[in-house]
Amino acid sequence: MDSELIQQIQNQARDLLESGAVKGIIGYERASDGLTARPFFAYEPSAVERLIFDETCTHNLVKYLLDKKNEKMAIVVKPCDSRAINLLLNEEQIKRDMVFIIGVYCPGVVETAWNRKGQTQQARCQTCELLKPVVYDFLAGQEPVRRPEAELYSDILEMEAKPVAAKRAFWVEHFGHCIRCYACRQVCPGCYCPECFAEQLDPSWVGIRIAPKENELWQAIRTFHLVGRCIGCNECERVCPVDIPLSLLNRKLEKEVKELFAFEAGLSPEEQPPFATFKKEEKLGLEE
Amino acid sequence: MAVEYRPKIVGFLCNWCSYAGADMAGTSRMSYPPNIRVIRVPCSGRVEPLLVAKCFQQGADGVLISGCHPGDCHYTEGNYHARRRFALLHSFLDYLGIARERLRVEWVSASEGQRFTQIVSDFTRELAELGPRSEG
Repeated sequence: MDSELIQQIQNQARDLLESGAVKGIIGYERASDGLTARPFFAYEPSAVERLIFDETCTHNLVKYLLDKKNEKMAIVVKPCDSRAINLLLNEEQIKRDMVFIIGVYCPGVVETAWNRKGQTQQARCQTCELLKPVVYDFLAGQEPVRRPEAELYSDILEMEAKPVAAKRAFWVEHFGHCIRCYACRQVCPGCYCPECFAEQLDPSWVGIRIAPKENELWQAIRTFHLVGRCIGCNECERVCPVDIPLSLLNRKLEKEVKELFAFEAGLSPEEQPPFATFKKEEKLGLEE
Repeated sequence: MAVEYRPKIVGFLCNWCSYAGADMAGTSRMSYPPNIRVIRVPCSGRVEPLLVAKCFQQGADGVLISGCHPGDCHYTEGNYHARRRFALLHSFLDYLGIARERLRVEWVSASEGQRFTQIVSDFTRELAELGPRSEG
């Protein structure tokens, strides 16, 4: 654990709370297993001692800002999480002056589970080039020396190359496991509709039955609603209790959007997302 | 005895061009395969991927989305938005194991009755060659 980095975060948090600049801090604390991290809300200056940051801080805390729209909060964000802030700013879900962003240089996070801390970095960190948050008010830590270790879309390309029937079999197998707990939705900073299509009763898009076809419809449309919006924090896959490789879906569309529209979500709060705009002259492979 | 496979197509036709085009085909007494079930929508931009995914879930073999030619949209820009959406949905469906040939996006104007019959005939033939959904 980098004690200097934690000291910086704690000092900044204490200043903010003591001066009354923010109502609370959203950060990480050590979980009760003594190994992993969990989200922590500090409202008193005395509580900031519990704030930590290290390679187990995998959660994307930006989701909590949606519940704190009317209170000025400070939030600890990794570079990937900071893209979610840009996403929500772009979609006018949060106001910039209602949030103080404590950005941290990211060393990459590791796989964690209850009472267990992995040694290897998460797959998404192995391909990540973003070391510094894209938006912040205060920046903590030292720029890490870290290079992407793996090819960005190697698994996607492998999947694309399979014959259609093999892809079908792959997804039927995985969607068959889905219990539609909707954890993937609940954890996603981009999923904030007051009424999700999955819970609409009239028309009832997704049947209440937990069956492969219903599960597939849910996952297909959940992913498609995140086209040009998924910021790649991969929280959906992390929280999935049945280990469906959701990043294969999200990153497929991320790749397509990059190729077709040269757009990456959350890098700027102003840039128009691909489905909010169009170019008259583009053909996109559809004949006229 | 083997039953001949007849693919089912759901067609989303925009009210202003393609539905009128299909009407044109009808009033001109042109014939085309009866495999298509037409749903009239106000604009091709109204067709969301959810509708397409639902069709496939409910057993459609193919989905045709048809709207005004780019530049001719009754609502000025609906079909431009549709174009972006379905360009992506094409490859995404393929990725999920629904062959990309099963989704077709075509621009048909109100005067192109002949073109509409041609599209439906071609689409039906291609789907018949592809075979039922369970086989890919």
